[in-house]
Amino acid sequence: MPARHVGRPSAQRTVLHVDMDAFYVSVELRRRPELVGRPVVVGGAGGRGVVAAASYEARRYGVHSAMPSTRARRLCPDAVFLSGDHALYASVSAEVRSIFDRYSPTVEPLSLDEAFLDVSGAARLFGDGVSIGHRIRDDVRDDLGLGCSVGVAVNKFLAKLASVAAKPVARPDGIDPGPGVVAVEPGHELEFLHPLPVQRLWGVGPATLERLDRLGVRTVGDLTRLDESVLTAALGRAVGTHLRALAEGNDDRPVEPDRRMKSIGHEETYSADLHTVDECGRELVRLADAVASRLRASGQGARTLTLKVRFAGFRTITRSVTGADAVDTGPAIVSALRPLLASIDPTPGIRLLGVSSSNFAVPSTQLSLWDQLDDDAARPGPGVDRETAGAIDRIRERFGAGAIGPASSVDRRGLRVVRPGSQQWGPDDPSAR
Amino acid sequence: MKFRCEREILADALATAGRAATNRTGTLPVLSGVRLDVAGDELTVTGTDLELTIRLTVPVGGQIDGSAVVPARLVADIVKALPSGAVEMTLGDDDLAISAGRSQFSVRPLALADYPAQSEPDVEPVTLASDQVADALRQVVRAASTDDARAVLTGVLLASEDTGVKMVATDSYRLAVRDLPPTSMLETGQKVLIPGRALAELQRLLSGGHELQVRLGTREAVFEAGTTRLTTRLIEGEYPNYRNLLPPSYPNVLTVGREALLDALRRVKIVAQAQDATPVRLVLGGDTLQITAITQDVGNATEEIDASYEGSEMTVAFNPDYLAAGVEAVEGDEVLLSTIDPMKPAILRGQGHDEYLYLLMPVRVP
Repeated sequence: MPARHVGRPSAQRTVLHVDMDAFYVSVELRRRPELVGRPVVVGGAGGRGVVAAASYEARRYGVHSAMPSTRARRLCPDAVFLSGDHALYASVSAEVRSIFDRYSPTVEPLSLDEAFLDVSGAARLFGDGVSIGHRIRDDVRDDLGLGCSVGVAVNKFLAKLASVAAKPVARPDGIDPGPGVVAVEPGHELEFLHPLPVQRLWGVGPATLERLDRLGVRTVGDLTRLDESVLTAALGRAVGTHLRALAEGNDDRPVEPDRRMKSIGHEETYSADLHTVDECGRELVRLADAVASRLRASGQGARTLTLKVRFAGFRTITRSVTGADAVDTGPAIVSALRPLLASIDPTPGIRLLGVSSSNFAVPSTQLSLWDQLDDDAARPGPGVDRETAGAIDRIRERFGAGAIGPASSVDRRGLRVVRPGSQQWGPDDPSAR
Repeated sequence: MKFRCEREILADALATAGRAATNRTGTLPVLSGVRLDVAGDELTVTGTDLELTIRLTVPVGGQIDGSAVVPARLVADIVKALPSGAVEMTLGDDDLAISAGRSQFSVRPLALADYPAQSEPDVEPVTLASDQVADALRQVVRAASTDDARAVLTGVLLASEDTGVKMVATDSYRLAVRDLPPTSMLETGQKVLIPGRALAELQRLLSGGHELQVRLGTREAVFEAGTTRLTTRLIEGEYPNYRNLLPPSYPNVLTVGREALLDALRRVKIVAQAQDATPVRLVLGGDTLQITAITQDVGNATEEIDASYEGSEMTVAFNPDYLAAGVEAVEGDEVLLSTIDPMKPAILRGQGHDEYLYLLMPVRVP
């Protein structure tokens, strides 16, 4: 497809990027109103945790997401740390999504708290992009009591930059609420884009930034004034062409409503390293149970299963196995991965274990003849596994994820079931549980 | 050792015996070779991996008697590539010279002294009808397991029962049972377990239409057809009780043309195999059989063929390869597929061919 030029009317799209404001924190504050106005941090509170989200009050102290929680505590000792409730955020995210769906059938979620909407066809129904942006903000505030920022532009790249400009800003002296909706008007893209620092371009990481800096490129505008051959020589053809297109405001990527999930997985960083085969085996069972639950919820089975191990020294290995059955039960995942785990020596200390599943297909299990034999009935076959899995799902639906779990996941603190998303920001403080 | 032999005959003998030679690491290096013995105008070629031995004798123009062990694969490849006509092999002090026309090769032999001696069971041979055995092997060996984790299942069971001899194989997912007429080879009640791999080789050897002689010892079995002899160790261990796996009755029976079913399966498998082994679903009910393959990423396939069905409507899924292997194995123009429910074993038979059945476990799908 030839590069689409900004402002060409025949091809013009209207793309919205909607980004929830301090989403996890704001959701927490809805049920903890006494914390409104205080610095609040959601994330892993333990020694190896990271910040998932910070309220604007906490951001005034320099706390930001992905920062180690220990550093956040030093910057803002008064902050209230919450360990995060992924299930709640996911259900609120679904409510937000249903608001988006009012305005466009073409919604591409990027994560729980941001999405692209293509509203090109919605002008007659709801008005232009800016009007739709304001309506979405109003709906989200009125229906859900949450804030969001909206960027409006002719493509995804510019819309995302615009939503950043629309955001509230935390300054040491107070919080600037921000404009809420920022539109990059067609024909004025370069005025908006060229003064921005060059690292705001999608694809400019630290290495590329350093090379551009040596060429005297600081802003996006500087990049467009660079000779094409110089840019290509410094960054290679692929990166050079890509950045040049972005710097000129070109981005042809469509808003893709149903980007299929490519993998489902869980990993867990342990507050204390694992050293024994038994510990690792128990964790494998826990992680497999959680992955299997999500596979069943999505109606898929996985043919490929991957085990990820990060050792104490941060060396990380992954091992995969692909089988004939598309599995969606904990025991099936465990039996596929156990031989891989057995080949790994845990004595140097294991900091993180992860189980992920991919290569999805309709879940299927080749039944075995021995399942038929009465005298072999004590040995659970795959058919039995799937019936058990169905019962587990129904129990969890009624009584919550922690109502049932593998027996090996019971310790003196009770049953430790992997809650989806609970660990993406590092381990909680075990003493806080 | 020195002899001349027609290239085709020699190449064939080296390839056949070479199939029993092994390149597995951890075994005796000499087992990667074939042994050549010349006595008068006869050349004997032997290959073995200690489990399976294939030995055959071919006519040659013998000049000097003698023996050598030569690398199986290398020498077979050389002889196969030579121009047609006579090939001459001459064993020198430290090499084997191979020549044909203007081609000259010399190959370093392996240690003859290391080559294992062959033991032979001291029993009278029993003659079997090779056509019938070849037919039974074709139908049964396909169901044997190739997974060494459960060694007994890599074997084919020969069991003498009141009604005759049963030949049985299973890999846990399907089970093939073939009835054979009674034979004096087995005493009543006797059971032997013969490696499926050896019987697959025997099946190839029987294509010549020779008479088959069998000598069954306590540790090994020897099969001889023409001038080819195959010796295999027997598998020790208790074979699962396959009769318990056969359901006493089936409420649902589908009758369908064998060729039409095979053709439909071949087409549906194109999609099923595009995403690993996607199961095929058989929709049973009414006077057509619908076969579908549903994949998440590649696409779908549906076939409909005329059939007659008695029983309750249901959808049952199978591994397409296992199903096709069973349909191929049955004889006759019409196939009977008997089912209980989508979780229970199904049976394939050829109409009017009650001597063979192929039991198949379904794939569970949502």
